Amino acid sequence: MTQLIHLLFFPGGLFLLALGMGYEWLDRKLLARLQNRQGPRWFQPLADTVKLLSKEEIIPQGANPWLFIFLPVVALAGTLTAALYVPLFGLPPAHSLPGDLILTIYLLSLLTLGTGLAGANTPNRFSLVGATRTLTQLFAYEAPFLMALLGPAIVAGSWQISIINDFAGRNWLIVTQFVGFLVAVIGLMGKLELPPFDAPEAETEIVSGALTEYSGRGYALFRLAKNVELVVGLTLVASFYLGGLANPLAFILKTGALLLIIVGVQTLLTRLRLDQTVGLWWRYGALLVLAQWLMIVLAKII
Amino acid sequence: MKLATLLKDVWQSLWRRPATEAYPLVKPETSARFRGQLHYNSQGCTGCCLCNKDCPANAIEMITLDKKNKRFVLRYDMDQCIYCGQCVQNCRFSCLSMSPEEWELAAAGKEPFTVYYGQEEDVKDVLAKFTPEDHPEAAPR
Amino acid sequence: MHTNEHTAQIEKFIIPIGPQHPALKEPGHFEFTVDGEIVTHASVRLGYAHRGIEKGVESRNWTQNLYLLERVCGICSHVHATAYCLGVEKLAGVEAPPRAQAIRELVAELERIHSHYLWLGVTAHEAGFDTLFMYTWRDRETVMDILEAISGNRVHYSANILGGVKFDLGEKEAQTIRQGLSFLEERTHHYLEVVSQDALFLQRTRGIGVMTLAQAETIGVIGPTARASGLARDVRLDDPYAAYDRFPVPIILDDRGDLSARVVVRLKELLASIETIRHILDDLPPGELTVRVPRKIKPGEAISRVEAPRGELFYFIKSNGSEMPERIHIRTPTLCNMASVLTLAVGHHLADMPMLLAGIDPCFSCNDRGIVVQYGGDDHDHWTWERLRQFGIDHYKQLESGVF
Ligand code: SF4
Ligand code: SF4
Repeated sequence: MTQLIHLLFFPGGLFLLALGMGYEWLDRKLLARLQNRQGPRWFQPLADTVKLLSKEEIIPQGANPWLFIFLPVVALAGTLTAALYVPLFGLPPAHSLPGDLILTIYLLSLLTLGTGLAGANTPNRFSLVGATRTLTQLFAYEAPFLMALLGPAIVAGSWQISIINDFAGRNWLIVTQFVGFLVAVIGLMGKLELPPFDAPEAETEIVSGALTEYSGRGYALFRLAKNVELVVGLTLVASFYLGGLANPLAFILKTGALLLIIVGVQTLLTRLRLDQTVGLWWRYGALLVLAQWLMIVLAKII
Repeated sequence: MKLATLLKDVWQSLWRRPATEAYPLVKPETSARFRGQLHYNSQGCTGCCLCNKDCPANAIEMITLDKKNKRFVLRYDMDQCIYCGQCVQNCRFSCLSMSPEEWELAAAGKEPFTVYYGQEEDVKDVLAKFTPEDHPEAAPR
Repeated sequence: MHTNEHTAQIEKFIIPIGPQHPALKEPGHFEFTVDGEIVTHASVRLGYAHRGIEKGVESRNWTQNLYLLERVCGICSHVHATAYCLGVEKLAGVEAPPRAQAIRELVAELERIHSHYLWLGVTAHEAGFDTLFMYTWRDRETVMDILEAISGNRVHYSANILGGVKFDLGEKEAQTIRQGLSFLEERTHHYLEVVSQDALFLQRTRGIGVMTLAQAETIGVIGPTARASGLARDVRLDDPYAAYDRFPVPIILDDRGDLSARVVVRLKELLASIETIRHILDDLPPGELTVRVPRKIKPGEAISRVEAPRGELFYFIKSNGSEMPERIHIRTPTLCNMASVLTLAVGHHLADMPMLLAGIDPCFSCNDRGIVVQYGGDDHDHWTWERLRQFGIDHYKQLESGVF
């Protein structure tokens, strides 16, 4: 019974979706205010979702209908499952097993994979270009992002999120592993395709990228998945680098601060071309994290 | 080469009210020269019809009831008017003017857009005289 | 032969941009053949926003046309009216008084400011730098407010009438303008710094779409696009009209020829415009605002050229001595610059296309003067008015009967 409640209402399921929409609103509102605009009202993400859900879903000719319907579900399911393993809302994770860090990271990648496949599934040219870009970008940021999250794991001596969280509660890793923190934040933005890493869905070039053909339910699910991923990603980075998440207050403050940083980066930077994004990752991101890794390992041995 | 050159503006914006105008709640002030709804004063009008000759949108019509007794009625179709001000420029007797305040002119139907200016009894006469059948162009829409 | 080429085209991967596309604020159709992300061929089809203005002009009188022509473009409305007025005044053999000419120049320069600010925002948006977009458009409101304060409208100022201008500038208006300008000057300096120093913005503009001086001359580009390639072409200096001989503007040149140069040239032009407006305000010639222009214009032909924010605007006006013009032809600057986009596109990334297109500051609806009808009828080149009319009637009849 409690399992079911965990899964459907708190902290998974409904609560998570609501939290995701809340963070989406915060993101949009802050972005707007930093740009000196008004921004949406608090219920806008909910209204968007309700409207999208009530709209007709159009399956384009030439697309595999099963895949077309199934992919958004997989994406959302993946991110929702990932949420079970992280200290959401400052509470201990609902599930915990050794090595769940790797599991979580791969569950989070399901959204990107789903988006890429969804783009490749439709015959639309914008979708195809978007899918190529999405997947290219996936290969670019995935490894550095993983390495950035493994840094804390190594010093904590465990690959279990709850243990790393406890360890991080005693040591603010942002101080000792600043490079890792930077790469993790930027990797998260790349994962979520937020500006300036939004080349895969750059509206002025390829309309809406891989999701161009999606409307109605499928699109709503993708959006929800993205929101949940935002929350999960913020939780992960905040718990690893910002001194752990021990209670709800710490959760709200720390993820909020992280979101503010992310929004700031969004406002200040110009969109990177895909080749520039990839170059940035492999030339700086990956190498820097690697260097830091070596140092951590060396420090551990000595 | 710098990163984040707009940092200062962004920081300031965080503490500023949005630049967006709160329009339906607060009506913004327009300049004194703003060209809003057209107004006509039949005093001094000679019925020369210069105003409607050059109107690019055929938005006004001068209806002459009695030239000798200076009984003129101006029919004005707000929905056709492009607010160019040419009629005001053309009138040598300053009978026409454009209001800087009246610019919230949207309406759900067509009727409020047709306005008859002139002496009260003249307008009444016009409306009575021109039945829609024989003068469709002058009929109230 | 033709079919072979056609099949070869189909096998390539073509990205269509337009007629409806988020990057285009107006309809135009571009086809970019890509190899991966690199563009190998580009073509354009225009004419989606053809509104028949040149024909409409022939059934309105000389004054009414002023307002129709002002609506050719929603951004550079004043230059259209000015070009038309100057042409008609030439035909009628009159000249507007110096004060009117100075006010015409002043409004034209204010309009340039508003147009370039708008363009900067659009370019920033195409580059994915939305914050700059929002800020420039916020600051652009200042110049829109100035224009409203002096003319009574934000977009279609209707400053011109045949033989002069409608409104005068007093001390109060001059004060409003000066105040707004000093704010805008400060902001322009700031934005100039941003676009020439921001590392990421430069990554998207520097070295992109480089057009050499020789290329610029061959393609025949005009306006700021030409000046960014070092081609000194500016009607305001080459053939001064209105009051430009009395209040000249400095020419802004850049020899780099890339997108970044185009941004910098336009921003420096803003500063030049602000200076010029200040000169005009300091030294506004006294006198009348209008001269009388007869209702019927003497028969003859005239051309008039003015420098629109996007480049040279050309008017051909023909009168047959009646109350209405016989023929007016307009050539807007976008048409001349369009070829440069297609030439420069090849070899660039697909992601650069919106920027490259924005670089010439295109205005589709003002450049759509004619359309080529490729179906119906055997003679494609000659369509009489009657035939076009008949074609339209048949077309809509067919539509109604549901044949299509
Ligand atoms: S403002 Fe222009 S359009 Fe309106 S009635 Fe006067 S002349 Fe006609
Ligand atoms: S131009 Fe003036 S005087 Fe002549 S009819 Fe019109 S309002 Fe009357």
